[in-house]
Amino acid sequence: MTTPLIQTQNLTKSYGDKLAVNNVTFEVHPGEVFGFLGPNGAGKTTTIKMIVGLLQPSSGLVKVAGYDINSQSLLAKASSGYVPDTPNLYAKLSGRELLRFVGSLYSMQRAQAERRADELLRMFDLAAAADDTIDSYSHGMQQKTALAAALMHDPKVLVLDEPTVGLDPKSARLIKDILRQMADRGAAVFLSTHILEIAERMCDRIGIINKGQLVAVGTMQELRALGQNAADQTGAASQTGAASLEDIFLDLTGGAEEAAIAEVLL
Amino acid sequence: MTEAINTGPGPHPSPAVLPAVWKLLSLRWQISWNSFRRTRLVRKIFTVIGYLALLGFVGFIFWASWQLLGFLRSPELTQYVGDTRQFVDAVPGLLFTAFFFGILLTSFGVLLQALYLSGDMDFLLAAPVPIRAVFITKLLQAILPNFGLGIAFGLPVLFGLGASRGYNFLYYILVVLMFVLVSLAAAGLAALLVMLVARVFPARRVVEVLGFVGAIFSMICSQTGNLMNSAGDEIDVTNQQVSQTVGLLSRFDNPLNPLSWPAKGLLSLGEGSWLPGLGLSLLSLGLAGFIFWVSLQTAERWYYTGWAGMQAVTRKKKATRAGSPAINGAAGLTGDALERSHPLFSRLRRLVERTLAAPIRGIIWKDSLVLRRDLRQFSQLITPLIFGVIYGFIFLRRGGEVPAGQGEAPAWFMGALGTLLNYGSILLAIFVGWMLLQRLGGMGFSAEGKNYWLLKTSPLSARQILTAKFLVAYLPSLALSILFLVGYSILQKTPFPAFLYSILALGACLGGMAGIEVAFGAAGANFTWEDPRRMNAGNMGCLGSILAVLYVPLNLALFFVPLVVINLMALPQILGFLVGGLLGLGACIAAVIIPMRLLEPRVNKLGE
Repeated sequence: MTTPLIQTQNLTKSYGDKLAVNNVTFEVHPGEVFGFLGPNGAGKTTTIKMIVGLLQPSSGLVKVAGYDINSQSLLAKASSGYVPDTPNLYAKLSGRELLRFVGSLYSMQRAQAERRADELLRMFDLAAAADDTIDSYSHGMQQKTALAAALMHDPKVLVLDEPTVGLDPKSARLIKDILRQMADRGAAVFLSTHILEIAERMCDRIGIINKGQLVAVGTMQELRALGQNAADQTGAASQTGAASLEDIFLDLTGGAEEAAIAEVLL
Repeated sequence: MTEAINTGPGPHPSPAVLPAVWKLLSLRWQISWNSFRRTRLVRKIFTVIGYLALLGFVGFIFWASWQLLGFLRSPELTQYVGDTRQFVDAVPGLLFTAFFFGILLTSFGVLLQALYLSGDMDFLLAAPVPIRAVFITKLLQAILPNFGLGIAFGLPVLFGLGASRGYNFLYYILVVLMFVLVSLAAAGLAALLVMLVARVFPARRVVEVLGFVGAIFSMICSQTGNLMNSAGDEIDVTNQQVSQTVGLLSRFDNPLNPLSWPAKGLLSLGEGSWLPGLGLSLLSLGLAGFIFWVSLQTAERWYYTGWAGMQAVTRKKKATRAGSPAINGAAGLTGDALERSHPLFSRLRRLVERTLAAPIRGIIWKDSLVLRRDLRQFSQLITPLIFGVIYGFIFLRRGGEVPAGQGEAPAWFMGALGTLLNYGSILLAIFVGWMLLQRLGGMGFSAEGKNYWLLKTSPLSARQILTAKFLVAYLPSLALSILFLVGYSILQKTPFPAFLYSILALGACLGGMAGIEVAFGAAGANFTWEDPRRMNAGNMGCLGSILAVLYVPLNLALFFVPLVVINLMALPQILGFLVGGLLGLGACIAAVIIPMRLLEPRVNKLGE
C-alpha cells in the first residue's frame, strides 16, 4: 500500500454554530484522480481550502505529501499546486510575468522557470497573449493561466476547484488529458466538479459530500453498490436501479425528490 | 408523460419607457433603503444628523445670500464702491455656468462607470426593458448626487437673490425648473462624450486615466492653496485687482453666452418684465430640453452599438519589447544583456541573490510592476512627490535660519537650536518618505486584494512575506527621502558630517516607521476591495500610522539629544555621533522587529 499524498482525518471546520465540514476522512494515493462531488454549499470548497492551507481547520488533520499542512505548511505547500474556482490573478501582470513570479515563489532557478513558463504557455495556447496583461484575458484564458501557474513547479499534488468551468471543449479536453498524465506519472489529483460526466470518466475514485459530511467514497463500482443498498433500504428501487453517477449522486444527496418535483412542475 | 413546452404568451413586457424607468429607479431606492436599514444604529443616527446639518447649511446659505445681496444694493455701500448691480446681476449666470460645467465634467467619469463598467448591464440589457429606460435610469443615477450638491449650494443663493429683491413666485418655480433642465442637458452632453470616448478607448483604461488625472489635479489644487497661504503675507490685494475680478465675473453676463440666457430671463421675470423674461426663459428651457432630447436619441443609439461592440472587443496585440526588464527580468533581476555589459550589475545581482530569498525578490519585483502599471495605485504614489515639492518650497522660503527673537534667549539655547537647525531638512525628508510609507507599508498587504490566495498557498513563511512587504515599503521611501535630503542639504549648505548623520537618522527613522506600518497594515488587511482607491487597512492601519508618527520624535531625540548635550559639554562631536547613532539605530531595530514578530502569527491567518 502506497503512502497517501493527501490525507484528511476527522477534518472539521465550523463558523460559529454552523458546521461547514464535519469529520471528513479520506485519502488520495499517488497515481489517483480523486473527484470530489457535492451539492452547492455542501462543503467542497471549504475542504479544498483546508487542504491547500487557505483555511485552518477547527479540528482534525490534513497531510499533503506526508506533511501536516498546519505544522509543516511550507513543505506541504511546496509539494502542491492549487487552482481556485475563480481565477483571481494579478490583473496588471502579463501571463509570462505571472508564471515567472510563481516560479520565484517556489524558489525555482531562473532559467528553469523561464523554460517551464514557455512550455506551459505553448501547451495552453497562451503563447500569443503571453506578454499581454491578464486584465485583457478572457475567463477561459485566465483559468488556463491559473492552471499553468499551478503546474509551474511540477507538483506532486494538484488540487483543483471546478477546473473546467468556463473552458471551451478543446481546453477542457486538454486539462483532462494533463490531469490524467500527471496521475499516470505518480501525482495525486484532487478535483471538485459539478460535471458528473467528467467525474465518472476521469476519476479513479469519487467522494461525495453532503451538508458537510462525506456520505460516500469509493470507485464507481463501489458507489453503485452503495447506491443500490441505499435504494433498497428506502424502497426507491425505480430510481436507483440505474447505474449512472447522476442517480447515485441524487440518491445520496437527497436530490432525487427534487428531480421528481421538477418533473411534475414542468 | 411530458407535456409540450408552454407556447402561450408569457408575462407581458412593458414597452412604456416611464414605467420602466420608475421600476428601475425604485429598485435602486430599495437597495439604498435596505443598506440604510441594515447599518448600525450609530451610523443611522450620524446619517440623519448629517442630512439635518446639510439642510441647516442650505438654510444658512439662503439667509446669508439674502442679507449679503441685499447689502450690496444698499445706497450706503454704493456710495463707497460704486454701483454693484452689474456684479449682482452676473451671479445667476455665473451659477448656471458653473453648474452646467460642473455636471458635465463630473458626470463624465460617473457615467462611464455606470454605463460601461457596472455589473448589472448584462442583466438589464437582457431583460424585457426598453433600452431607453435603462439609459435614462443610468443617466439619472449618475447625475443625482452631483445635481443634489449643485442644487444644495446654487438654489439657496438664487432664492436669496429673489428674496433680497422681492421677486414674484414665478421666479422661484422657474429657478428650480431651469436647474433641472440645465443639468439634464449637461448630463446628456456628457453621455455623448462618454459614448465617443468608449468607442475609441477601452472604458476601463479611461476610468483609470481619469482617476489618475483627477487625483493628481485635486492634489495639486489643494496644495497650491497651501503654497498661496504660505506666501499670503506678501500678497497685497489692490482695489484695481478687485475691480478686475468683478469685471471678469461680469463677463458671464454676456448675451452671447447661452448659459446667461436663463439667468437674464429669470431676472427679467422677477423684475416684472414679462415679455423679455418669458421669452428668454422659454428659449432657455426649450434649448436645454432640445439638447437633452437630441443627446438622448443619439446616445442611446450609440450606446447599444457601443456596448455590443465592447462585448466583442478584441485584444490589441502588444509588440514584445526585447530587452525590457519586465520581459527579461525574472524575480526582480536585471536582464542578462545588461549584466553582460555591466559586470557591476552581475555582482550586484549575486549580492541580492545571496541576501534575499527568491520568493522575497519575486514579491518585490511583482509589486513594483503592479504599482507602476495600475494608474489608480500609481496616483497615490505621486502624492508624496507633490507634497515634497510644495512643502520643500515653503521650507526653503523660510530660510532655515535661527530666529533672532528679542535677543533675550541665552547663548547656549541659541547654540543648541543652531545645531538642531542644521538637521532641519531631515523632518521634511521624513515627512515625504512617510507619505509614501503609509501607502506602500500600511496597505502593502491589503494591496494584494483577492490575489492573496496565490501567496497564501505558496511555500512562504509569514516572516518572508513581512520582509518582502517591508522592503517594498522601505526602499522606495528611503530613496525618495534621500533624494529630498540631498537636494535640501545642497541648497542649505549643510556641513558634510551633519549630512551623513542625517542620512543615518533618516534611514533609521523610516526603517522603524516602515516596520510599524507594515505590521499594523498586515493586522488590519482588507482583501475584499474592487477599486484600489477604496482599499484600506482599517482601524489597525490607522493605529499603525499614529504609532509610526509617535515613534519619529522618540527616534530623532535618541539621535540628536546626545549631539546637543555633547556640543554643550564641548566634547568631540564624533562622540555625539557615536552615542546618538547607537541609540537611534537600536530603537530602529526594535521598531522593525518587535511589531513584526508580534504580528507574525496573525499573518498566518490572513485571508481566511
